[in-house]
Amino acid sequence: MTDRLIALLNTLLPGDGADWPSAGSDAMAARTIELARGAPGVSDALTAILNALPDDFGTLQQTQREDILRGIEADRADQFDAVVTVSYNAYYTTPRIRDVIERLTGYENRPPQPLGYELEPFDESLLDAVKARGPIWRPVD
Amino acid sequence: MTETADIAIVGAGAAGLAFAWSAAAPGLKIVVLEAGGTVDQARAPSLRQDWELALQTTFNANPNVRQGPADYPVDDTESAIHPAIFNAVGGSTIRWGAHFPRFRPSDFRRQSLDGAAADWPLSYSELEPFYDTNDEMMGVSGLSGDPANPPRAPRPCPPLPLCAATERLAGAFDRLGWHWWPSDAAILSKASRERASCNNCGPCGVGCPLHARASADIAYLAAAQARGIELRAGTAVVELERTSNGRTITGLRYKDADGEGQIACGEVVFAGNALGNARLLDSIVDHRLFGRGLMVHPTAIVTGLFDESVQSWRGPFAAAMVCQQFCESDPARGFTGGFQLQALRGQGPLTTALGGYGLRVPWGQSHIPTFVARFGQTLSLTVTCDDLCEEHNRIALHETARDRLGLPVPRLIYRVGDNSRKMLAFGIDRATEALRAAGARHIDVNPLTRNAGFHLMGTARMSSSDALGVTNSYGRVFGMDNLSIVDASTFVTAAAVNPTPTLQAIALRAATAMRDSHTGTEKAVA
Ligand SMILES: Cc1cc2nc3c(=O)[nH]c(=O)nc-3n(C[C@H](O)[C@H](O)[C@H](O)COP(=O)(O)OP(=O)(O)OC[C@H]3O[C@@H](n4cnc5c(N)ncnc54)[C@H](O)[C@@H]3O)c2cc1C
Ligand code: SF4
Repeated sequence: MTDRLIALLNTLLPGDGADWPSAGSDAMAARTIELARGAPGVSDALTAILNALPDDFGTLQQTQREDILRGIEADRADQFDAVVTVSYNAYYTTPRIRDVIERLTGYENRPPQPLGYELEPFDESLLDAVKARGPIWRPVD
Repeated sequence: MTETADIAIVGAGAAGLAFAWSAAAPGLKIVVLEAGGTVDQARAPSLRQDWELALQTTFNANPNVRQGPADYPVDDTESAIHPAIFNAVGGSTIRWGAHFPRFRPSDFRRQSLDGAAADWPLSYSELEPFYDTNDEMMGVSGLSGDPANPPRAPRPCPPLPLCAATERLAGAFDRLGWHWWPSDAAILSKASRERASCNNCGPCGVGCPLHARASADIAYLAAAQARGIELRAGTAVVELERTSNGRTITGLRYKDADGEGQIACGEVVFAGNALGNARLLDSIVDHRLFGRGLMVHPTAIVTGLFDESVQSWRGPFAAAMVCQQFCESDPARGFTGGFQLQALRGQGPLTTALGGYGLRVPWGQSHIPTFVARFGQTLSLTVTCDDLCEEHNRIALHETARDRLGLPVPRLIYRVGDNSRKMLAFGIDRATEALRAAGARHIDVNPLTRNAGFHLMGTARMSSSDALGVTNSYGRVFGMDNLSIVDASTFVTAAAVNPTPTLQAIALRAATAMRDSHTGTEKAVA
């Protein structure tokens, strides 16, 4: 089953062959299973989608595998949707992927808190043009 | 022996806790009953690397998905909009964005000015002192002098800064000759009392570990307790007891961890939001309009994609800047009422991949290029529409379905009216124009955000006449001796802006009057 799951993850999130690894590794498969167990109905959805894959799924080309998944997605939209979500959940919370994000985008591989980001003062001169145009609210009474 | 309270408040959210603080007076026993527990924001998920998972689970805004211990199901099968509420001490402000705009004077006079909707039985100037008090209590950052609003008192804290993305947008609004202003935000830009200053971390919606973002528990609870009010968390009110003529509530039955209990009370104040209130009041309030005329803010979200990173993950996600150029009604636009354009910053990586405010990033080979083109490179504008009060939009109760407490399941019945549709279309065009002028290369439009059932207004609207409204201007239910409703259910119009400052101001005004009538200063409520 893990081989199938790895093939499925590789198809959903194949990476780019350079900076971004594919999702199909033992560690990410294990994390996907763990996250699926924690969400109602998602383990069952994952099992159903894995069972719907043909036996030779792992040996096919990426484009062939994508075609097969598109067919399954059309037939079992809700289950497939749950599997895509849990796969993204696993991928984007994996430290190795977060390192790539940090390197390529500057979004640091750390939680938002406690460090946050600098809170610069507001530059009031930005409002000169708005102020010059004057009031636009309707007085009453 | 049955316990007795002078005032029992149902719900410890934005309205309930503001009301409790203001109503408190020596010698008055005030008890707040709240179905949910406390949320320890000092341990918010944003302290964890996997914080974005919480947005799908424990901090999911939809109670039907979240299914927390205090959540009740909401039947939304007949609604274009899904419910977005939070049941805990602090109420939905545990989950909110803290964008804190006021209604404008014209919002209280739509019938007189535009021949639309109805006038409120109170005016902006009557509410203004309560808005000011609430701003102090919540801890508001902002800048007075906004030309889209009447002059107001200096804001308690200076405005929060713009970021690379919102600065671009400000420039675009200037080029278009449109209004923009830094948002009033219930977020501290400077430390105050026990609360630290915001550190610009971004995901306010999962709670603020610094307590910089106000939620009703952080802003009001300790002050209310210091005045002697008593909070019963984890205590759900399940039934009201009445005199035989039905006019007077004599007590409340509740369920908590220890079982069932009862409290006799002088005044009963409902602050459970329109959905929570309906479950108990539908069988009590004998008024044709109760439950009817539900207004939400139909909301589109227009997202601009820039060619380079604007690091749009930095800063409070929903409280940055606002364009109120189109808030006032202008019949030449082909609809009545107006809308605000509220800037929303980008999201974390996982939420971006899952679609953020728009469509999920596709799986397969195009996933990474699409993700890279979006993450940190987007800025969104809401088109937050004023909504007309239409009686077919309503909250009703399910005939048979019950929640685990035995209370009937509320049904949200809502379709977007023609006026709002026209407004959404016009607003989407304006938001697109602004984002294009800001340099966005690509525009994504979510024409109606389904998960926007967070502003529930109008199902017990106030009026000076019992024929035209369910309550008077203090929230006292017509025909009832001691029952009041003090949340956004009592709104007469929806305006084009987020409701919390206004519903809290209304709660403070009602509480002041009730306190004064109890302490003998004034007989103002009934
Ligand atoms: C995702 C999100 C973002 C938002 N962003 C903004 C924003 O930026 N600006 C803004 O102005 N507003 C915003 N809001 C809306 C804002 O949170 C609400 O307007 C406000 O909290 C409503 O206050 P309330 O007191 O009426 O109800 P709530 O705050 O919802 O509190 C009601 C409380 O009553 C309790 N209750 C209900 N029934 C019972 C019962 N039978 N017994 C005991 N307790 C009961 C509930 O458990 C709940 O805690 C947002 C909301 C959400 C969900
Ligand atoms: S952005 Fe500011 S207010 Fe929001 S959670 Fe972070 S520190 Fe708190």
